[in-house]
Formats: sequence, C-alpha cells, structure tokens
Amino acid sequence: MHPHLEILLQLQDLKAQRRELAEGGEVRRVEEEEFHVDLQEAIAKLDAKIEEMEAELPPDVRRRYRQIEGRGRAVVPVINGICYGCFVSIPTAVVAEIERNDAIRLCDHCGRILYGLR
Amino acid sequence: MELREFFNKDAIKLDLQGETKDDILKELIQILGLDEKSEGILFKMLKRRENLGSTGIGRGIAIPHCRSLVVNRLRVAFGRKPGGVDFKAIDGQPVYHFFLIVAPPLEVSNQYLPVLGKVAQFAKEPDVPRRLQELKTPEEFLQLIAEKAK
Repeated sequence: MHPHLEILLQLQDLKAQRRELAEGGEVRRVEEEEFHVDLQEAIAKLDAKIEEMEAELPPDVRRRYRQIEGRGRAVVPVINGICYGCFVSIPTAVVAEIERNDAIRLCDHCGRILYGLR
Repeated sequence: MELREFFNKDAIKLDLQGETKDDILKELIQILGLDEKSEGILFKMLKRRENLGSTGIGRGIAIPHCRSLVVNRLRVAFGRKPGGVDFKAIDGQPVYHFFLIVAPPLEVSNQYLPVLGKVAQFAKEPDVPRRLQELKTPEEFLQLIAEKAK
C-alpha cells in the first residue's frame, strides 16, 4: 500500500472516531456510560494524533486532502467497482488499478481519494 | 435484531495464545481474515481506541471496537484466553473473554451501535462470565448468545 494512502486511511478512521465522540448521539453515550471514556480527554488525544498524522503527509498531498475534506469525507472505499463517495460505477480496468492501492487515485466523478477494498 | 446472526463459527476462538494485550488484539484481528496491511491498520486503530480508555469493562470481559475503512461490513469475533491477560480493565482484573467489533465508517444498515450495545448488555448478565468460561465448543458459544441476547 502506498504510504501516504495508509496515512490517509488512518486519518479518516480517526476523524470518524472523533466525530462520533464529539457530536453526541448513541456512540458517545455508549463510550461514556459503558466504557467510562473521558470524552474531553479522548477528543484531545484524537486531535493531537490527527495533527501528528497530517504533518506526516507531504504538503501537496495534505493540501489536496484538506480541499477534498472541505466537501465531506475525503477517503472512500471502492467496493465492487462502486465509489462509496458518489456511488458511481468505475470502469473495470480502473478498478483493478485502484485495488492495488499503490498510488493516490481520485474518483473522476466526485474527486474523493479512493481506496480499493475487496 | 438478534446478536446471534452476527457471529459465525469461524470467528470464534476458544484458545487464544497471546500473553499480552497487543498479542490478543492481533490474534483477534487475524480471526477476521483480512490482508496483512489491513490487519496492521486495524491494529493501530484498536490500539488508539484502547488509549482513550480500556474496553475491558470488568468481570473478565473486554469489547475492543472501532470503525475502520479496512472492512466493508460489520465484522465481529469472539476469543477466549483461559489464563487471562492484563488488559488494563476498569476493575484491574485479568480479562478472559474478548468480543471484537469492527465496522466501516459508513454503514448502510447502521448495525455497529446496536451490536456494540447488545454485547455490552450481554456482558452484564450475572452468569455470563461463568458460562463463557465453561464453553467447550464454538457451537456452545453460539447457543449461549442465542439464549441470552435476543
């Protein structure tokens, strides 16, 4: 896997985790009540890790990631040839390339960063 | 929704070998059968979740969980370590029973939270730790889940 794609995947996972803790809702309640997570501390730790990982990206990749992120989820899986950002079908030959996960590739339709998931 | 429908026999391991928290997490991840790179990413995510507070909820039970892009649907696994390991559980006691729950960030059917909640409730049943300890086969685990977590 391309090292920058690996960082981007982890960033996306961390941000999903942060969002669920910060936005309220049931996940936040379960984490607090069942697992006794200190929410403020947890969010601060996640923020620090997110900042650290974003700093690991080269400036051009980081800039592009932030641009895409401004419109919502930046990294999305491609499953069975479908971009899970815009749910548009991707040509078979391109899917094979995406599934190698050896480069940062963007969806031609929605511009999100693609991750091939088999 | 019944918890039983999310578990299958192949994702149950009653003789975990790991001796540390990290070993156990890796062994649980291996049960899911992901590729090596995805296993590594998932391990990091689970570790980061543990760093926010142990998922060892006491009474010898832990529920490591997270969302991750490396899975395309909700995945669950159960593992048992007969001798127990130090999982930094909230009661400070060793953990013997592990429920791994992983879901993608975007879930059409949104099963992650209900499953997490049901497993947490299951773990609170008074006789569950003893009955998990007594299991001899994966089928018995499935029967127990079917009986207790409807």
